[in-house]
Amino acid sequence: MSIPQDLFYTKTHEWVSLEDGIATIGITDFAQSQLSDLTFVELPEVGTEFDGGDEAAVVESVKAAADVYAPIAGEVVEVNEDLEDSPELINDDAFGKGWLFKIRVVDESDVDSLLDPETYEDLCPTD
Amino acid sequence: MNAWSLSFSEPVPYQQGLDMQRRLLAARQESRIPDTVLILQHTPVVTLGNRGRDNYLLKTEEEYRSLGIEVFHAERGGDVTFHGPGQWVLYPILFLGGNEADSHGYLNNLEEIAIRTLGDYGIHGFRREGKSGAWTDAGKVAAIGFRLKKWVSFHGMSFNVCNDLMGFGTIVPCGLVGEPVATVKTVLGDDCPSMERVRDSLLNHFSDVCNRKLERFERTGEMPAILHELISGE
Repeated sequence: MSIPQDLFYTKTHEWVSLEDGIATIGITDFAQSQLSDLTFVELPEVGTEFDGGDEAAVVESVKAAADVYAPIAGEVVEVNEDLEDSPELINDDAFGKGWLFKIRVVDESDVDSLLDPETYEDLCPTD
Repeated sequence: MNAWSLSFSEPVPYQQGLDMQRRLLAARQESRIPDTVLILQHTPVVTLGNRGRDNYLLKTEEEYRSLGIEVFHAERGGDVTFHGPGQWVLYPILFLGGNEADSHGYLNNLEEIAIRTLGDYGIHGFRREGKSGAWTDAGKVAAIGFRLKKWVSFHGMSFNVCNDLMGFGTIVPCGLVGEPVATVKTVLGDDCPSMERVRDSLLNHFSDVCNRKLERFERTGEMPAILHELISGE
């Protein structure tokens, strides 16, 4: 299971990359593997403002639905519309083409509260 | 890992079951309780999953009402299904987001519990490629649909023991056209085990498959104060 070293993570299995005040958010490889083949993704609307920890999206496989949380506060500026027709992009490329949404963060230092790759790895199953 | 189970002998209305699950879910997210499994029967109800489509309902609202069947849009994964007396519903409230998570996945574990339970009564249960749940030669016996919030599960699996299949005749179960639904009784007839025996089988296999040692409680008996509080909503 891959855990890229250049990302931030949450206990609820989201990943975050930050560039010029815009955070890109997705679910981790562990998360997609636990849900198996995704069939539907409910994304937030552009313009929605989230506090850190708010429910932001829902990903669904045939028999499971899981909530995705906004890791840090900000306003949604873009969502991954490709997922509407191809939710399997999350299974195929969780850390790349399977990104979910981007937010303009309120306070960049909020990422300090997120987990580093090493801490995140400790949360995941060892096998 | 230790967990609690709580079983109900009297059928529980769907809304009441949902309210209990939501309170347990919140308490589990805050680590106020260990993983907890509810095992109960519902009063007759048709439920649709998140993506459940109304065209899988074969009756009008009025007709469902006159049959004494409630209709609910549930927030779980999976499609339309029926619950009623004679069917066990397993609602595991489990934290699946930590390093104790099983690499085989929760869906697979639920199927395994159903298949092993069928095996206890000499019934060959199996998975079907691309179709979740547990199947027998006579049809589908266990249906699965769950949701994760902060990686704590709720909703879960239903397992048909001796329920009247009439309820399933009012829907297209799981949106699968032409796929029969079966019960343990369909297969075994008069040799069908009691509800209590099947409940114990389900809990035993839950404990083995999900690797959790169960402390078992019954709704009408003694239980930890916090569990009582969360169940009764007081």
